Amino acid sequence: MSTLLAFDGLSRDWFGVPAVSDLTLDIPEGSTLGLIGQNGAGKSTLMNMVGGVVPPSRGSMRWKGAEYAPRSPADATRRGIAFIHQELNLFTNLSIAENVFIDGFPRRFGLIDARRMHDVTAALLERLQLTHRPETPVGDLAPGERQIVEIAKALHRAADLIIFDEPTTSLTPRETARLFDLIGRLKAEGRTVVYISHILGDVARLCDTVAVLRDGRMVDTGPASAFDTERMIRSMIGRDLAGMYPGRTAAPAAEPVFEARGLTLSGVIEDVSFTVRQGEVLGLFGLMGSGRSELARVIFGLDPLERGSLTLAGRNLAGGPAARIAAGLAFVTENRREEGLLLEAPVAQNLSLVALRDFARGALALLDETHHASATADLGADLAIRANDIHRQSVKALSGGNQQKAVIGKWLMSGPRLFLLDEPTRGVDVGAKFEIYGLIDRLAASGAGILFISSELEELTGMCDRILVMRRGELGPAFVPPFERMHILAAAFGEAVA
Amino acid sequence: MTGALDLALRQATFIIFACVLLYFGLQAPGFLTPESLGNIVKQSAFIGIAAIGITFVLLTAGIDLSVGSVMYLAPLIAGLAMRDFGVGVGGGLFIGVAAGALLGAINAFFIVRLNIVPFIVTLATLFAFRGFGAFLTSSQQLDFPPAMRAFGQATVLGIPAPILFFAATALLAHVVLARTEFGRQIYAVGNDPEAARKAGLPVGSVRARVYVISGACAGLAGFVLISQIGRLDAGFGEGREFDVIAAAVLGGASLFGGVGSALGAVAGATLIQTVKTGLVFTGVNLYLQPILQAAIIFLAVLVDSLRQHRLREAKRRVIRPAGETGP
Amino acid sequence: MTANVPAGADPRPEPVRDRALPRSSGRRIGDILFSDYFVLYLSIAYFLALIPFLPTLSTPANLANLLSNMWPLLVVAIGQTFVLTIAGIDLSQGAVAGLTSVAAALLLATAAPVAVLGNAPVWGVFLGETGGLLAGAPGATTIGVALILLIGGLIGLANGLAVAVLRMPAFMVTLVTMIAVGAFAIWLTQSNNIRDLPDNFIALGKGTLVSLYFGEAETSEVARRALHAFVTWPMIIALGVAVAAHIALNRTVFGRYVFAIGINRKTAEISGVPVRRVIVTVFVISAVCAAIASILYTARLETGRPTLGSGNFLLDVIGATVIGGTSLFGGKAKIVWTFFGVLFFVLLSNTLNLMNLSAFHIDMVKGGVILAAAFLDVTRTRLMLERTP
Repeated sequence: MSTLLAFDGLSRDWFGVPAVSDLTLDIPEGSTLGLIGQNGAGKSTLMNMVGGVVPPSRGSMRWKGAEYAPRSPADATRRGIAFIHQELNLFTNLSIAENVFIDGFPRRFGLIDARRMHDVTAALLERLQLTHRPETPVGDLAPGERQIVEIAKALHRAADLIIFDEPTTSLTPRETARLFDLIGRLKAEGRTVVYISHILGDVARLCDTVAVLRDGRMVDTGPASAFDTERMIRSMIGRDLAGMYPGRTAAPAAEPVFEARGLTLSGVIEDVSFTVRQGEVLGLFGLMGSGRSELARVIFGLDPLERGSLTLAGRNLAGGPAARIAAGLAFVTENRREEGLLLEAPVAQNLSLVALRDFARGALALLDETHHASATADLGADLAIRANDIHRQSVKALSGGNQQKAVIGKWLMSGPRLFLLDEPTRGVDVGAKFEIYGLIDRLAASGAGILFISSELEELTGMCDRILVMRRGELGPAFVPPFERMHILAAAFGEAVA
Repeated sequence: MTGALDLALRQATFIIFACVLLYFGLQAPGFLTPESLGNIVKQSAFIGIAAIGITFVLLTAGIDLSVGSVMYLAPLIAGLAMRDFGVGVGGGLFIGVAAGALLGAINAFFIVRLNIVPFIVTLATLFAFRGFGAFLTSSQQLDFPPAMRAFGQATVLGIPAPILFFAATALLAHVVLARTEFGRQIYAVGNDPEAARKAGLPVGSVRARVYVISGACAGLAGFVLISQIGRLDAGFGEGREFDVIAAAVLGGASLFGGVGSALGAVAGATLIQTVKTGLVFTGVNLYLQPILQAAIIFLAVLVDSLRQHRLREAKRRVIRPAGETGP
Repeated sequence: MTANVPAGADPRPEPVRDRALPRSSGRRIGDILFSDYFVLYLSIAYFLALIPFLPTLSTPANLANLLSNMWPLLVVAIGQTFVLTIAGIDLSQGAVAGLTSVAAALLLATAAPVAVLGNAPVWGVFLGETGGLLAGAPGATTIGVALILLIGGLIGLANGLAVAVLRMPAFMVTLVTMIAVGAFAIWLTQSNNIRDLPDNFIALGKGTLVSLYFGEAETSEVARRALHAFVTWPMIIALGVAVAAHIALNRTVFGRYVFAIGINRKTAEISGVPVRRVIVTVFVISAVCAAIASILYTARLETGRPTLGSGNFLLDVIGATVIGGTSLFGGKAKIVWTFFGVLFFVLLSNTLNLMNLSAFHIDMVKGGVILAAAFLDVTRTRLMLERTP
């Protein structure tokens, strides 16, 4: 078997933080490679390099034996690489057939040859056992069906390599079974497949080879037959770096500060109950799409709650975000650029946004500029936000870590009783992570409750008093120290580990 | 139940249209006669042709505020050629459409090449094109040769010329939008420009061409109406950009891009004209008519917003990962 | 961020502070380009450059005329600035101006000719031979002005609710309002103008507080035309609105919320900003500003005119605002920018008038200037990105 795609010392940095380091791997033609690793291990960055979205910082790739440096996603597609992403690249206002043919329609007398286009598509759909007509708009299809349209596109272009990136997270069991059946047929046709997934059992079943990424490096690889779930999980978990986490300075109190009872939003979360005590850092671990962010959104009042109750500091939580903020809730979302920051505004204005009314004076709600300037300056200094001038410099110009400190910082002035922190250390460098952990400890020591949501198990075990695991919208068992990472990870993956 | 609601939201224009026809038909017996309906179509040709053109622009989530001025300037250039160089009506028609396309290309240059927002570019050319026309004529009325009116009053097999042009434009636009690669790529670009870029579609060229088409249609629309009256005043077409946009939106085109059709624009323009004519038939004060038109447009936009809102809601209900974007 | 000078009170350039280091000339040009006063510098340069060619430009009479053209436009543009800051747009300002102009006349006119207005639907209801509804009543002008502002505010409220609560696009909502309100104003008077407004109302548009006289000091009598209005009621009103708007936008919690929504509505929502309420308020401000400007125009013309805000009114407003530097994408606006944008636009119109160009030629130049301003803004933004480390 010849090598189809090869990586040689491939590396990619984001603002000085390595995401993929010195990765070397050969993917033989006709093989099926399972690529696994925790979130942030570098899988997406690797795939973005293959797909022509970002160029490597160092190292090179070879495709069918020749130098490969795609300039754009379209370039990668032309070479014969197809991606089946979590977010699909389909045009919902066009039909299935048009999506398949979007970059090259069959023509007859200058017009689209609709009959040929529909015939070809119908044949593809039949092969893929999708019982829709080619002229059905993609917007009318279910998520799983849309994925099959993506596969139809790949087949139509006779792609040599098909990369599946978390393809089953939004699929029903039946759709998943059909997808696996399909992948089996693709293998039988001799196509090369890369399968990225958190569902380890699927990886073991579908793939011939497994490669494990951790911190941007290839840490373990071998034939799938030699990998049981335990070895996969063990390889994905790194060793603790000494001094990665500041010690906790205070133990949590016994009194609860927050209580959730039977939270349900159909199709999203199901009967979720838990309490957070004063000064407690409660970890919430779960894979992507397990419903953890959705839970936070429901608690914060961004999404409606169908059943269940919420109590914060003895008071019932209701209404929209503004009312819940007033009741003592704070929410650091996982998307700091889209939901957390006013990127174009100066740092100081971001820091004071939540508590802005506290700076109002008189009937006209005039801003007390002096107080505002000193208070934001104090907070900026306290958080050690590194900026030239927090009153002038826009938050956009800060590094990821400093941006994240500003997102957390904007809640501090309103004195919240419970912090919902959703992936607070995503995309920040090690130094800034350490500072954010220190900040979390300080908040807890001051008596606030913390719900620390993360897909990085290491940081949860390093910082939390208890860890809850969420899977498919439901809460699993709670873990207490000493944390058994194998068990927590297995609970999240839905695997049993001896 | 919700399926019926979604269907009603999707077909809102046609439902409104049917109600309007029914209402006026019951109110005024002379309304549903072939002559009066034929007149409606004839009178809606002017706004309708331009609305078909702007639908191309709206499909890409752009906007063209300059159509009112192009309606004035493009036929003006044609008229000057006819008056001063003895160009015939056919030649004048060609020049009018070509001049409209050229003016659209100027818009496209600023929007695509210099990357300035369409709203500002076409707002500026709205001023500039009209000013240039006034410069050419010293703000005088331009009288076309008599052949022009003869051309405008002509009929083929009993069908008046404006209806023929309207129908031809609609048919051509429909074929381009529905049956050509370029047409389908317009929809793709409007639906998700980022995905279109990733799929390797020529996004810049698609966006540029829609402005050229909008300009050409506006030029044709102006020429067709002037052929009815035989002269061109300095204020011709002023403020018409809003009528044109309203007709396209009423016909189902969304300002957010990706949704709309040539036949929808025809329906929208004809609906507006139907309401106008119907109000005349039922003797409603002339000055009150725009208010009722506005009410119908409001209804159409409201329906579009509700539909968008329902779409977003439907999306949220499924557990879907936020996506592993690079750190 | 902004200089602590209320807009218009002291439009002199202020030195750029905080950067004491010696810089290259390239950077100095950059400073001018990025300065809040860029459009002011441009206006002054343009003014000085044209004086040799247009001697009438700097005559007191022309300057007085220039200023009087500026004030109503400034008020409308300020309203538009608020809407643009939240990344919206208000196309209905002209129609609001038209309707409120008619309303002013229907409330305050002291007489009306039956021959002209007898057919209007308002005849006998609001208007009769003896004038409008409030004609002759004590405090009529005060009550009338309050009612006019209320009418404007209600239209703005309708716009705001449709945008904020029904989530309809501002462009279409205000387009519909423009068509409907504009038509309603014309219907009310069947497209006729109404004259005979009371003197104390007219004073709002023409009243002079301080006049300047340039000439012999020892003349016992000064001819009326030798006096040049300098401080007028419209100036006081417009500057008052500007100062209030500047304070509201830059010195209040509300103003910060407006910017926050314009920069990122999602972030604002999650941070507890009352997004809907702020959006509605912004549209109310825009419409009330249009109503105030309508009072200034109506009083100056001594006529209630339903078509007051039609034609190029809207385009002048948006053009002036955008030339000042306010972004259509929201989150980037200053009242001083709008002030200078209006100044430049009025100056431009004035000079083109003095060149004896027709209204249409003026349109052509205005179009070119708007394009140039937009291109400059794109370039500025790019340079700014290169400048920040």
